[in-house]
Amino acid sequence: MSEEQKSSAPGEAPTPGFVPRIQVFEPHRASLPPLGSYLREFWKRRSFALELARFGDKAEYLESNFGKVWLILNPLLLAMVYYLLVAVLRGGAKSATGLTTLAHILIGLFTFYFAQNVINNGAASITAGGRLILNQAFPRTLLVLSSSISSFWQFLPTMPVYIVVVVIGKYFYPKTKLPLFNLSYVWIPLIIILLAITSFGLALIFATMNVYFRDTSKLLAYTTRIWLYASPVLWLPSMVHGWQRSAIFINPLGPALAATSNVWIEGKAPTHAEIIMMFVWALIALCAGGYFFISRERDFAVRI
Amino acid sequence: MTTSKTIKVKTASGMIDFPTDMAVRIEDLSITYKINVDTKRTLKNAIMRASKGEKVRMRTVEAIQHLDLDIPHGSVVGIVGANGAGKSTLMRSIAGIMPPTEGRIIVNGKISTLLALGVGFNPALSGRDNIILGGLAAGLTKEEITAKADEIIDFAGLPEGFIDMPVRTYSSGMYGRVAFSVAVNMTPDILLLDEALSAGDASFKEKSFNRMRELCEEARTIIIVSHALQTVTDLCDTAIWLHKGKMIAKGEPEEIVDKYLAFLKVGKLPTSMEDM
Repeated sequence: MSEEQKSSAPGEAPTPGFVPRIQVFEPHRASLPPLGSYLREFWKRRSFALELARFGDKAEYLESNFGKVWLILNPLLLAMVYYLLVAVLRGGAKSATGLTTLAHILIGLFTFYFAQNVINNGAASITAGGRLILNQAFPRTLLVLSSSISSFWQFLPTMPVYIVVVVIGKYFYPKTKLPLFNLSYVWIPLIIILLAITSFGLALIFATMNVYFRDTSKLLAYTTRIWLYASPVLWLPSMVHGWQRSAIFINPLGPALAATSNVWIEGKAPTHAEIIMMFVWALIALCAGGYFFISRERDFAVRI
Repeated sequence: MTTSKTIKVKTASGMIDFPTDMAVRIEDLSITYKINVDTKRTLKNAIMRASKGEKVRMRTVEAIQHLDLDIPHGSVVGIVGANGAGKSTLMRSIAGIMPPTEGRIIVNGKISTLLALGVGFNPALSGRDNIILGGLAAGLTKEEITAKADEIIDFAGLPEGFIDMPVRTYSSGMYGRVAFSVAVNMTPDILLLDEALSAGDASFKEKSFNRMRELCEEARTIIIVSHALQTVTDLCDTAIWLHKGKMIAKGEPEEIVDKYLAFLKVGKLPTSMEDM
């Protein structure tokens, strides 16, 4: 990005209504463009990211018979498979505990899928936007932002689905302690925002890596599967104690997923450690991802 | 001797005077970049090489070397040169896509580009949707591009009903017409076209030339990269010849084209003038 300058000096009026608009392109310092103008341009063009996400979604589901139903059907079916593995094979599926397990897997998968989609779609966004990158100058972070927005829209309808499942479950198992609509729900927006920032930062790292090494996105498919098993999605955070709890906090998505479980399944506010670590991971991911991505943006046009 | 008015411009080395009649000023521009020359650009390959103590094989490309160029407002500049001469890199650096490694580029005015055929169109979306996206990518607001959409559609002149059909159903000519129409109807002060004038049939080509002549009459600046040398001599008032990142010559288009053809050891054949 350049330092754009406007001047009120009377120009030679080369075109009708011409306003001198100076852009100066100079070598980047420490591989970084002038950050002030970069961030201003990023903010100015946010509607481009929004529309790109909107049109991207439109294009993706135009030719699918089930359209956006797949967005809910996919994690729902996957939740059923994991529920069968975790609850039915272990016994106690047809009980109030079974309902809690199902609800935990469901909300955990929906939330994990949101983070996974932000990371995976973001990782592919730069290589997929090749011609746009070759033709227009704009902050490339907008392409990753666009795929994150798209993933958020895909995540939103899963919340009502969870609530419907719990309402039906509570009708059949009225003795269940599974909470619904309580004060701890006020934490949900903060958890989602911090999880989105963390995932966006990670997406920036993987998007850059994908430009250099084209098998990164393929590798991510396996990495996120292992990541899922290492996260408190198929197991409750309360199932691990002592030093084992560090597994939750050394995982960038762990604190947010543990907090999700606390709010939706236990009906409690996130613990202090979860809140602090959510902020820490969001900050680390955004700063590290932002630096890694922006310092290599110049290369994208020649490596795409 | 005429002296033009100047404005103060902030650069890394301090405030400098910049003539207001100048559209683009390129000062001692060098652009280098590294490319991976490994056949397999994969993480697996990089890890395998690292395990053997080998490095990923890189090559440094000196795409532009110490180039100085002034382009006044209202000029139509043609850039000619063989493949790998640095023409596209130069266009991308003027557009701000590829920042300099050394030197400086000062651009005065709103830029519109058509540097890669397709400009990132989404094949599943209609031409109309892609026009909106193209405008937003170029920095217009949604209101601005929506207001211009009909004008762009009219100019593209697609057969009845095609504008609302997915772009994947378009022929390459129709695809190019929409892309060209978006670029020239952005009311740019500086229009950058890289091999973009071959879009469409003879009638559309004539329409494109007329539109560019209109832009010239409004003193807008056009920079064209083309292997169709006839286009350069027909449209441009100045031409530059790039070779291996260096400017070999600058001057009247006829003279530059003659020098370039002599260098290539080909005469003014229809094939050499239209498509090289």
